[in-house]
Amino acid sequence: MKPTAIIGMGNPLMSDEGVGIHVIARLQGTALADSIDVLDLGTSGMRALHELEGRDLVVFVDCALMGTEPGTIRRFTPDDVDTKKIQPRLSLHEGDLLNTIALARRLGTSPARIVIFGIEPQMIDPGETLSPELAARLDQYVAAIRQELDGTSTPIA
Amino acid sequence: MSTAAPTTKTKTIDINVRHVTRLEGHGNIVVRAKDGVIEKNEWQVPEAPRFFEAMVRGRSFEDIQTVVSRICGICSVTHSFAALKAIEDAMDIEVSEQTSILRLLTHYGEQLESHALHVGYLVAPDLLNQKSVVPLAATHADLVKTVVSIHRVGNLVMEKTAGRKTHPIRLLPGGFSMLPSETELRELKQALQDTLPRLETLAAAIADVAGALPSFERDTEYVALVNPPTYPFYEGQIGSTDIDTPTAPADFESVVNEYVHPQSTAKWCKWHRESYAVGALARYNLNADYLQPLAAGAARSLGLTKGACNPFLNNVAQVVECFQVVERSLQLIDVLLSTGITQERPRVTPKAGVGVGAVEAPRGILFHKYEFDDDGICTRANLCIPTNQNHANIQHDFEAFVPQIIDRDQAEVRHLMEMLVRSYDPCISCSTHYLNVEFV
Repeated sequence: MKPTAIIGMGNPLMSDEGVGIHVIARLQGTALADSIDVLDLGTSGMRALHELEGRDLVVFVDCALMGTEPGTIRRFTPDDVDTKKIQPRLSLHEGDLLNTIALARRLGTSPARIVIFGIEPQMIDPGETLSPELAARLDQYVAAIRQELDGTSTPIA
Repeated sequence: MSTAAPTTKTKTIDINVRHVTRLEGHGNIVVRAKDGVIEKNEWQVPEAPRFFEAMVRGRSFEDIQTVVSRICGICSVTHSFAALKAIEDAMDIEVSEQTSILRLLTHYGEQLESHALHVGYLVAPDLLNQKSVVPLAATHADLVKTVVSIHRVGNLVMEKTAGRKTHPIRLLPGGFSMLPSETELRELKQALQDTLPRLETLAAAIADVAGALPSFERDTEYVALVNPPTYPFYEGQIGSTDIDTPTAPADFESVVNEYVHPQSTAKWCKWHRESYAVGALARYNLNADYLQPLAAGAARSLGLTKGACNPFLNNVAQVVECFQVVERSLQLIDVLLSTGITQERPRVTPKAGVGVGAVEAPRGILFHKYEFDDDGICTRANLCIPTNQNHANIQHDFEAFVPQIIDRDQAEVRHLMEMLVRSYDPCISCSTHYLNVEFV
């Protein structure tokens, strides 16, 4: 298990919902240290549980409804936010990444540092391309993650 | 289940469990009763992810399994296999025995992973009186750790065989783009052997609390793949507890008989009765005679018997199937290790045709049907997911179950109905995942 993982979440068949996967694909095309895993975990939030254990730093990139302008990227930690999802737990498929992180913490398998980059969607509809607002900012998103890895990150409002 | 509680004549029940996801496939529970009279009692499914059918039209046969693997983060391997089998059926593509064995192994990994998740993370909290798995990890840490380790091994199997944990990348029409090494197979064998005692722990924990499952029963038609003398997930005809002669996968549209119902924009299904059920209990009821020894032993110790028609026992059948897939996986790895891995790459020439793939997802039988033109471009697609096949059955369970429990407190009625829906392990809201947060 490498000490750092960058994990993209989301569904690239659902336009901006899949922005995390688009960012990961672009990151994989750049030079990164050998100590870093770059992973596409799609829409299965619970599998992230196994990628948290045994690491020092995990950075998630995911589509997030944050009440900001479409295209906005915000860096936050799990402690900076509360989930607004109402989950009657009817299905495994309604998982919430924040819930997975809470479980890892409860089990004592969470890394010391977890950082989430949330990207506000313009649209979440069937489609394999990002909205123009997000597509135009992909390089900015990749740069924000690289800054995090370099230890030079500053919160982006 | 006791129904001895006295009726409260002035009591009003008003339950409305709603998903707030914006998109497809969310399910609502709506129950209203006044003075003991049930006025509304509905399982509502406003939308279904049919748009993926449009998304594969116009695509090459080589790309379809990659697209459909994204339909669902938990059943991604099953969707890929349904597509590959349909493509191979349409184009008369034969696969090697090694490919069949490796696919089975991958598929068993997904069943193990999904069942462990469902029983451990969604059902166990109900049985142990916890709101979710997060507080359960405080009260029953060892059990949750056991479940996590079983879940991890399911993932490991898929990673080593299909190339990636969530959305498989090595699966192709005709075979695999890359094969596991014998070292990796030995590693998997060890991990699966280590899983057997953990499954015993899980089964013992569930057996201890299985009495908390409601004893509700409703005579039901169960539908699953059958392929005697095996307990099939990947290959077989379509069987039903209502008939003796199974139906060929090619005729699945005469099985599902999809129709529109006003309380749901997801289509409903019926075969010999007004509804039928698919999933682990359906597979068990049709194929229990062909379980492996440890799985059969687990069924005995959990009190599961063939012919069971309590939907809550679907979760018990999932535990039994965890044993089944681990036992079978160990046998398949031994076959691969004894024959050695043959390096082979599929070579496929496309042709026009129609094909159907029928495979068992963890939550029930899944059908894919595609038509291709001479160049192997998809011109039509029809995907019928297991959860859609269960919707009408869930509604009929509601109609039988709610009158038995309507005298109870509203919170208890709501909880029991949520448990009933959960018991089906439904695939709802499966194609989106996004966070929805407020800053604190």
